[in-house]
Amino acid sequence: MPKFDAIIIGGGHNGLVCAAYLARAGRKVLVLERRERVGGAAMTEEVFPGFRFSVFSYVVSLLRPEIIRDLELPRHGLHILPLESTITPLDNGDYLGQWNDHDQNRRELARHSLRDAEAYDEFGLMLHQMARAIKPLLGMAPPDPTSLSIANLSGMAELARHFRGLGDKRFHTLHKLLTMSSADFLDEWFENEALKATKSASGIIGTMLGPRSPGTAYVLLHHYMGELDGVFRAWGFAKGGNGSVSAAIASAAQAAGAEIRCNAAVAKVLISRGRAKGVVLENGDEIRAKLVVSGADPRRTFMQLVGEKHLPDEFVESIQRFRFRGSSAKVNLALGELPDFTCLPADGINGRAHLRGAFSISPSVAYLERAYDDAKYGEISRRPYMDIVIPSMLDPAMAPPGKHVMSIFVQYAPYHVNGGWTDARREALGDAVVDTLAQYAPNVKGAILHRQVVTPADIERIVGLTEGNIFQGELSLQQMFFLRPVPAWARYRTPLAGLYQCGAGTHPGGGVMGASGRNAARAILGAP
Amino acid sequence: MNRTVVIGGGADALVVAQLLAAAGREVLVIEGGNAPEAEGWVPPQVLRALKLQGLELHWPDPWISVPLPAGGKLELWRDMARSVESIRRVSARDAERWPQFCRRVARLARFLEALYAEPPPDPLSTGFAWRARRLGGRGLEDLLRILPMPVAELLDDWFENDALKGALGGAGVLHLLQGPRSGGTAFRLLHHHVGCAPGVFRAPRSNVLELLRRLPRVELQGAAVQRVAVKAGAVAGVVLNDGRELEASMVVSSADPRRSLLEFVEPGWLDPELIRAVRHVRRRGVTARLRVQLDRSPGFGALAIAPSLDYLERAYDDAKHGGVSRQPYVEARCDERHRLDVHIQYAPHGADCSKLGDTVLAMLSEHWGDAAPREGELLSPQELAHAEGWPEGQAHHAELALDQALWMRPLPELARYRTPIAGLWMCGPAMHPGAGVAGAAGYNCAREILRR
Repeated sequence: MPKFDAIIIGGGHNGLVCAAYLARAGRKVLVLERRERVGGAAMTEEVFPGFRFSVFSYVVSLLRPEIIRDLELPRHGLHILPLESTITPLDNGDYLGQWNDHDQNRRELARHSLRDAEAYDEFGLMLHQMARAIKPLLGMAPPDPTSLSIANLSGMAELARHFRGLGDKRFHTLHKLLTMSSADFLDEWFENEALKATKSASGIIGTMLGPRSPGTAYVLLHHYMGELDGVFRAWGFAKGGNGSVSAAIASAAQAAGAEIRCNAAVAKVLISRGRAKGVVLENGDEIRAKLVVSGADPRRTFMQLVGEKHLPDEFVESIQRFRFRGSSAKVNLALGELPDFTCLPADGINGRAHLRGAFSISPSVAYLERAYDDAKYGEISRRPYMDIVIPSMLDPAMAPPGKHVMSIFVQYAPYHVNGGWTDARREALGDAVVDTLAQYAPNVKGAILHRQVVTPADIERIVGLTEGNIFQGELSLQQMFFLRPVPAWARYRTPLAGLYQCGAGTHPGGGVMGASGRNAARAILGAP
Repeated sequence: MNRTVVIGGGADALVVAQLLAAAGREVLVIEGGNAPEAEGWVPPQVLRALKLQGLELHWPDPWISVPLPAGGKLELWRDMARSVESIRRVSARDAERWPQFCRRVARLARFLEALYAEPPPDPLSTGFAWRARRLGGRGLEDLLRILPMPVAELLDDWFENDALKGALGGAGVLHLLQGPRSGGTAFRLLHHHVGCAPGVFRAPRSNVLELLRRLPRVELQGAAVQRVAVKAGAVAGVVLNDGRELEASMVVSSADPRRSLLEFVEPGWLDPELIRAVRHVRRRGVTARLRVQLDRSPGFGALAIAPSLDYLERAYDDAKHGGVSRQPYVEARCDERHRLDVHIQYAPHGADCSKLGDTVLAMLSEHWGDAAPREGELLSPQELAHAEGWPEGQAHHAELALDQALWMRPLPELARYRTPIAGLWMCGPAMHPGAGVAGAAGYNCAREILRR
């Protein structure tokens, strides 16, 4: 008899969530992590002495509230500090602010466009309704529309009932969100360029599409599905960095009895007679279990850990065409002083409150499109889109006293860059980011003590995300819901008995949501 | 008075008019100034309903020729085996895959054909679910996956040759302000495949308009409509530009929705929310057209200058930022009298097209051998808007994209051809199934009218 009921490959947040749920149900679970620490792309590292960074993913919002509740994550150390604003510096020296405080936000929008200020509440309500319409789907194993089994048929019927229950108007709005470009969708609501650009930027994150391409409106909605303490759309920063999200989940899993082993890289899934029996580690050790659950992305799981020869041809073909095309990079800066944005100086009048929020370099939709144009033909964006936060403003423990850390999410930096990623190109990306930032906050250049540039190739190398895609596979309509990762295999199972998937490459996708891990655990526990 | 006035002289308008007349209504067609052309497949349901005989669908054969960078042309024929031979010269792998690709997508086109010849389905109904299921597991998967895809991804999945992908990719972006790397463009490839044999991806031309105009029973009048008179929320008649007033209890308009609802009808009859939604219907024109008379045959029936997907995408990049493509996507068709009809993309509505004619002539002259142009005329999107009645130069009247297709076309509130004004109906390219399927919107609209 194998010692374990389930082996989870990969201690990313989804693997840990899955482990925690299985362990809580009394299963004997072993999590195998290749690196020296758990967390995958949700981790904190002291990259430079005294400066701690959420090296990859850097904010929280989408983590499912039921997971926070079920696993009692606050008891295990999860503490989320809200980001209160987003400031978009404009090319004319002004800025556009979006604030959590409703009245302040409305006054600020009205300063730019009365019409947009009027429309904003209705827009918020509409997105709120759409997020609620999608919410029940997030926790569901997608039914297979091609299957005639009772379970799938009733799943499809339930889905149809759910959509019909939304009423015509909301169903049609949802249809539009699924099929439109974020720029076109926002054009129907707003006129201010910076507002449209900043909002449509949520629609391009992690994709290799521009804001004018259909399909991006859904990604925008995906980023609006966050819910913190019952408040929709709230974005926050985990105290101690995103590693503390993983640490809290790991702690919950261990408290429930799961075993976590780091420095234990899986080389192969053990397969005998069409069934997964365990894993072989890179050091040659064999560990057997009744079930193997892979938190790695679909290509890594099936092409590397399982191997084509154990899989049906058609399935292999589908996995091969599953698209990754990482397009995002991170630049992490250790700063000797706070950045001073010329559009909103941190002086006695303004105070420093705005530095506790995010800064978005997205002055216009055309700016984002031009950034995409570069990437489309294999170049890094000369003037990239950037989402900037200063975690040390919220959690001073992230940097030495008086000093700061800045986290910059950058797009586009295509994985398939012309000539491949080299050290020189990595630095060129870092320079493009710093130069662009310095146009809005000139003191930044002089304030940089250290700089870390993380390219898609680095993400792939370090965390194992294929092509550096932050969602374990593009979140496009043709790779969503019952098509994620491949048609007919979206219910966390695989063609191999005893092998499951629990990563963001499955429904509903990435963004430190944890839903894939939870859904996979539920699929496993519901299975006979 | 129990008269029906049909606005517009295109295939849709004539089909509605004939079907209503056949059902016993007195019908008058106000043709307007422009001379529409019938491009596209005619569903057999339309032919049967009108007992229309003598329809000729015409595709050039090869239906497309693509100049190759090393000289020579890639030719795609209506005959699969000949296409395979031609493709083999550029890629053995693509030649091998061509028949299978054609079969897979033809199956989806057949599914669309059935949907196109009836009013849009209710996507959440069990009936629709069962129909989709009849595609089989593989077919349904293909449908769900391919519709939202960028056409470039679909083609990259199957093929390696740039010229082949360019020729097919062109069909994904025809009349659309998107590039082949934009989502939803694979749907447009399927749309242009509807009614075609497997392996043919361009709509045919036909004599359907002539046939329709020859039918009796319906009075045709050349005049322009100024507005639709509405009394107590219901149609009372139409007022023509020359001031004449015609009484009518029903008006069917094949003009675009903005024109039909916001210009023909006086404001006040419609809900402001609907007015807002109608204003948001996207209809961005992107096409210019060049007509050239050559002194002899250019040596091709249909020629596409779209050497690669990147070429198309770069042409789109210019348009996305508001300009005319520096190196446009060009598709020329030649008739037996050596007249070239050239489709040019992208020329955004309102952009300066003054140099475009020369650019395109220079591009084409490399491919027409010894032929020499006698005369030529370029129509910008603004001129096409006027000549063809295409709003903002958009041939589909409302861009055919997944959010403006099927039950969403042009808006969910209007998708069943009815408007909130009693007696006012809409047909035409803005309605399901859109341009490129001649008479289908008219046929569907008539069915909805006669159902009541």
